Amino acid sequence: MNSLDESSPTPSCEYQENLDTLRQTYFFSGLPLESLKIFAYLCTREKFGEGEFLFRQGEDDGEAFCILTGRTQLERTVQGATLPIRSCEPGEFIGGLTLIGETRRLYSLRALQPTVCLVLSRDKFTKTLDQFPGQRPRIFRAVVAAINGWEERFLEGMAEACGGCTSKLGVSLL
Amino acid sequence: MHRVDRSIVKRSLFSWVFDGNLRWQVLLLAIIAVTVFTRVLPLELQKRIVNQAISLRKVDLLLTYCAYYLAAVLLSSACKYLINVMETHIAQQSLARMRNALYNHIITLPLSFFRNTQPGTVVNAIANELAVPSNFVGSAISTPVSNVLTLLAFAGYLIWLNPLLAVVSLSIYPAAMIVLPFLQKRANTANQQRVDLARTFAGRIAESIDGVHEIHGNGAYRIEMAKFSRLVEQLRKIRVVWSLYRFAVKSTNNFFTSLGPFLVFILGGYLTIKGQLELGSLVAFLSAQEKLYDPWKELIEFYQVYQDGHVTYDRTMEFFDVEPDYPLTPTDRKVFDLTPRLEVQSLSFFTDGGIRLLDDINLQLEPGEHLALVGFSGSGKSTLALCIGQLNKYSGGSVLIGGQEVSQLTKQDVAANVGMVSQSPFIFEGSIAENLLYACEAVTGDDGQRRPTLDDIIAVLHQTGLFVDVLRFGLNTLLTAETHADLVKDIIRVRRKFQEKHGEKLTDHVEFFEENAYLFHSNIAENVTFGAANRADFAQIALARNEYFLKFLEQSGLHRLLLNLGARLVRQTVDILGNLPPEAVFFEQSPMNADELPGYKIVVDHLRRRGLDDLPLPDRHRLLNLALRFTPGVHKMAALPADLQRLLLEARTRFREIISRDLPGVFTFYNKNDYIFSQTILNNILFGKAKAATPQAQEAIAQNIIQVLIERDLLETIVDIGMHYNVGTKGEKLSGGQRQKLAIARVFLKAPRLLIMDEATSALDNTSQARIQNLLETRWKRKSTLVAVAHRLDTVRNFDRIAVMKAGRIIEMGRYDELIARKGALYELVGRK
Repeated sequence: MNSLDESSPTPSCEYQENLDTLRQTYFFSGLPLESLKIFAYLCTREKFGEGEFLFRQGEDDGEAFCILTGRTQLERTVQGATLPIRSCEPGEFIGGLTLIGETRRLYSLRALQPTVCLVLSRDKFTKTLDQFPGQRPRIFRAVVAAINGWEERFLEGMAEACGGCTSKLGVSLL
Repeated sequence: MHRVDRSIVKRSLFSWVFDGNLRWQVLLLAIIAVTVFTRVLPLELQKRIVNQAISLRKVDLLLTYCAYYLAAVLLSSACKYLINVMETHIAQQSLARMRNALYNHIITLPLSFFRNTQPGTVVNAIANELAVPSNFVGSAISTPVSNVLTLLAFAGYLIWLNPLLAVVSLSIYPAAMIVLPFLQKRANTANQQRVDLARTFAGRIAESIDGVHEIHGNGAYRIEMAKFSRLVEQLRKIRVVWSLYRFAVKSTNNFFTSLGPFLVFILGGYLTIKGQLELGSLVAFLSAQEKLYDPWKELIEFYQVYQDGHVTYDRTMEFFDVEPDYPLTPTDRKVFDLTPRLEVQSLSFFTDGGIRLLDDINLQLEPGEHLALVGFSGSGKSTLALCIGQLNKYSGGSVLIGGQEVSQLTKQDVAANVGMVSQSPFIFEGSIAENLLYACEAVTGDDGQRRPTLDDIIAVLHQTGLFVDVLRFGLNTLLTAETHADLVKDIIRVRRKFQEKHGEKLTDHVEFFEENAYLFHSNIAENVTFGAANRADFAQIALARNEYFLKFLEQSGLHRLLLNLGARLVRQTVDILGNLPPEAVFFEQSPMNADELPGYKIVVDHLRRRGLDDLPLPDRHRLLNLALRFTPGVHKMAALPADLQRLLLEARTRFREIISRDLPGVFTFYNKNDYIFSQTILNNILFGKAKAATPQAQEAIAQNIIQVLIERDLLETIVDIGMHYNVGTKGEKLSGGQRQKLAIARVFLKAPRLLIMDEATSALDNTSQARIQNLLETRWKRKSTLVAVAHRLDTVRNFDRIAVMKAGRIIEMGRYDELIARKGALYELVGRK
């Protein structure tokens, strides 16, 4: 039988790979397949050359990124000076809060190497979620758990080292 | 704006009957008079046919009367048709008038009304509900008059023939009027119960299906079955009762209808035998009995139409019986030309529920001064801006623009002097140009002389940073040889220049039309034909049915493979998009359009039941069509197998050879010296397609193209084409930033003397925001007064004054440096940010 015949296994497509990727993110993993497959379909793959910005500090680009390959650096510019914060690695999902509400970036994300990302815009996210209003609580639960988990890890690992900054802690109390 | 003399909501339903329809109604009455005559005449003719023609055996009389009879019947049918036509005309004319008047009323209602009203309610009222009363208006005169006159004419004629028999035979109608409504009422009650129960029944089924995993999990089939059976039984009983009453109505009606002839036979027969009634009169009586039923039935139906129309009309008008907050236009003066001096004194604003949102607001702005309103969300900034712009009706205090109280101004005064940009501006379906001119045209109407020129428009596009966006829309336009013959030649020159100067730089972003490479950003049809069709039967939409092309696919061994690909695509796409609404965002990355989805769902259903080979021909065409549209770089729900890619590339060369031999001239193959009319201007300049729609890629391409277009003096031509780009419903084809830029451009073009911006740049990128800010500070300062609700504190430094709001009050006001030095609320806000 011809390798291209109907009964031959479907070659893996980008949509299927997107689906697999999204299922591994904290943000989307709790969603049922009916909405997840639409997000996987609506995601686009974007390439960023070395030095290009995925997003810039102060802007509300309204996009979430899942880094597939490459290396990126999170930076913050204060009074004209740009400080590297940390690198973001493949597999990392950035911008869940951006999808939920309008917010200006506190950081810039710059590609240090050619980078490929899965990108989902707020507009697509909102219009899809409008079709599944019952799934909003799942998203909120995932975000709340992520914020709590982040602060918990910070308290366990870093609180002592941060000295005076402990008085500013409490993001999970928001 | 069209004006109505009195508000539609105060008008009675009957007022529409003659309003604008008087001549039609009079004509209708004349036709009805003829109709009634043509209905009664056959009765007299029947009598004469029996008494004079048949009894006396006169054939000539028989033929004459029959001819009259036929003429009367034909005339009656023609009149009935004419009456229906005129009723429809009156109904539709009244419906159009009602819709215009109601829409005209609704759009002037206060914003507070719309906060509590669903758009669907307004849509339903205008689109559907008014149809019911308009039907009544259409038949309000004709139906009762024609049927009552017919009944009276029949009754009069019968009484004239024989008063006793007439009274006896007509006596069944009063009896029917008592019994039938009683039974109908019972049937209606039972029907209402049936509808209610059916709704519960449907809800229960839906609940069971939704929770079927719970039923399975608990093995609760017996419980669910018992619950369901109870409902089924209730439904069964009520349906039986309903049916019994329905049949009782029908049977009783039939009984009364049949009773008439019985009475005529028994009494009329007796009288005829006794020689007191002619045989012909008896026949006329029998015929009249039968014909009496129709006008009787029509009158009863008309009563129902009246009831429905009256109730629907009253309910609709009551719902919209709200007064507009402000008059639309001044009646005894010209529209004010106000000095943009703003004085707000002791202003307060309460919601309908009595919640205070603004309290004791005082501020003063001289003409040309700029004020920034800052504070936390909910502090009242937007509410204050809306009060100044007359969109909120303030509860107390005063807002003066140029010394005129805002609450006393007409809408036209405000529109002529104030411009407003909201945080979520609304963009209407239409072109960029229409949206840009929206605010100007609302003020100037059809005054062509005061319209902004193309230069004004282009200047504003530059100022707001929308120029590149509009250019992009222009570049994405398809041209035709008929309308743009000269431009096409210029584009080819631009293409050459572009390829020379920038071609190589853009290989990362552009997939050029290379003859020996598979094009992942072009669809399969384009990959095979590698050209633009010059005949409609070879256009891309027709290829899947084109016998020549199908034969070529078959000979190339591609037909079956493409059907398989189509099957994969349709299954996957329907699985993903099957239950989504037809919004552009969901279908942009799909090979099928939203309106094709229902058809493709049927194909999937057929595929589930039978194999590819057993599919009906239309389904196979659809699958092939889908496969031919498949563009691997865009449609990610399926992959292009490597073998198929190779075969397609081989087919390209063969197709060119064969069709050039068999049908020369049918295709213009991609060639650097020819314009490709099936491709956009951009693709023609690139001689290829952009690989990604990312802002970075678009920016890189746009920058290089702009350079060449400027050199060739074509930039404004393309922008002018882009101005005709349709932005889609609610501007859905634009990004949030583009919508905001368009809204700002719209108000800049109007150049109001008082400008209100409510977080108007929140969706813009840093560069665009800085551009707008700079423009306000240079071009608009001292010219127009500005009240800006600011979302970013770094943008307010150069405002003349900053008002910091908290809980509906201004807690401090002054210049930026003063307030920061004071270390008060602004200082704290800046610190927190």
